[in-house]
Amino acid sequence: MSATVRRPPLAVVLVAIVMLALGETAGAAMSRLKPEIQRYATARVAANPGAHGFSGSAEYDDEVRERAIFTAEAGLSFFHLHGEGVGLVLFFASTLVAAVVPGRRARAALYLPLTLGGLFPLGYLVYGAAVLELGRDAGIELAERWILTPLGVSAIAGLAGLWLAMARRRA
Amino acid sequence: MTEADSPTWRVPPRWVLLVAVLSIVAAEVGGGAMARFKVELTRWARDAMLARPSVHGLVGVRDVDERILDEALVKFDAGLRLFHMHAEGMGLVIIATSMVAATVIRSAAARRTIIALLTAGGAGYPVGYLVWSALIPSCGLERAKTLAEWLVWVPFGSATIVALWCLAGTVAWSMMARRRT
Repeated sequence: MSATVRRPPLAVVLVAIVMLALGETAGAAMSRLKPEIQRYATARVAANPGAHGFSGSAEYDDEVRERAIFTAEAGLSFFHLHGEGVGLVLFFASTLVAAVVPGRRARAALYLPLTLGGLFPLGYLVYGAAVLELGRDAGIELAERWILTPLGVSAIAGLAGLWLAMARRRA
Repeated sequence: MTEADSPTWRVPPRWVLLVAVLSIVAAEVGGGAMARFKVELTRWARDAMLARPSVHGLVGVRDVDERILDEALVKFDAGLRLFHMHAEGMGLVIIATSMVAATVIRSAAARRTIIALLTAGGAGYPVGYLVWSALIPSCGLERAKTLAEWLVWVPFGSATIVALWCLAGTVAWSMMARRRT
């Protein structure tokens, strides 16, 4: 027995594949370029002393610097993890949309939030960079408020829409 | 375009799916074994390290040696956990990406090459974590990492990264070609 499964538009597939490729590349960079990344992070923190609230006390400043660098590295690590995971979620969820949701408009209405949600991992790249440029708390706040939350909500809305469409079809 | 003639996925070759599913099964078994045989695995690694004190820089002072052994055992455990996680994830990555390659790449030679790279890279890369863990007791932390890196992570990881970017380029090219026609 053989069955055909409809596929989503290539633009959606492209976002999923690019996220997977970026996730893989970030993982390799984290491993192979660790010293370079740490050096870059240290230099960016040093270039923005006001944003990091340096006090002039070496002990306090070292602790602030280490926390900022650790947070920036965590951002890269989250990017690696989420790039791989969200890329797969977008691929399989959009394939389900193509396969089971009737009506072109309904499918397009689900592809859009799912694809925007597929860009969610990029928020962690911004998270890592913003921590270095704006300071730890302000950087995290910026990435969470303007990128991670809207794109995350978009992914949730798309998945909830898919669930509803499947439930309606079954009923 | 009607619903009936919407574009469809092409299934990748059977051997690719078998490798992907095997990778996921190995990950599941690895996860189960880690939990079930945690004590036995830790005891084996510890005994193997104690049998090679010079490799691990053990000096015979309990306070110092215990710290070194603890660090090596944490890495040994981390290698097993990372194998579990990566093998599950890469199994799914192989299925998804080889399906895209089977569908969008027109040239048979290019399609076969990309699918082979995606499959070998995806299935081989997680094995590096097992190799790392297995080598820690006999080779020490740094040497085990270097061996795993150059024997497994770099070649198989590079294969996956190169194939993924080629695939992304092909999908983008297909989109542009469709827009022109």
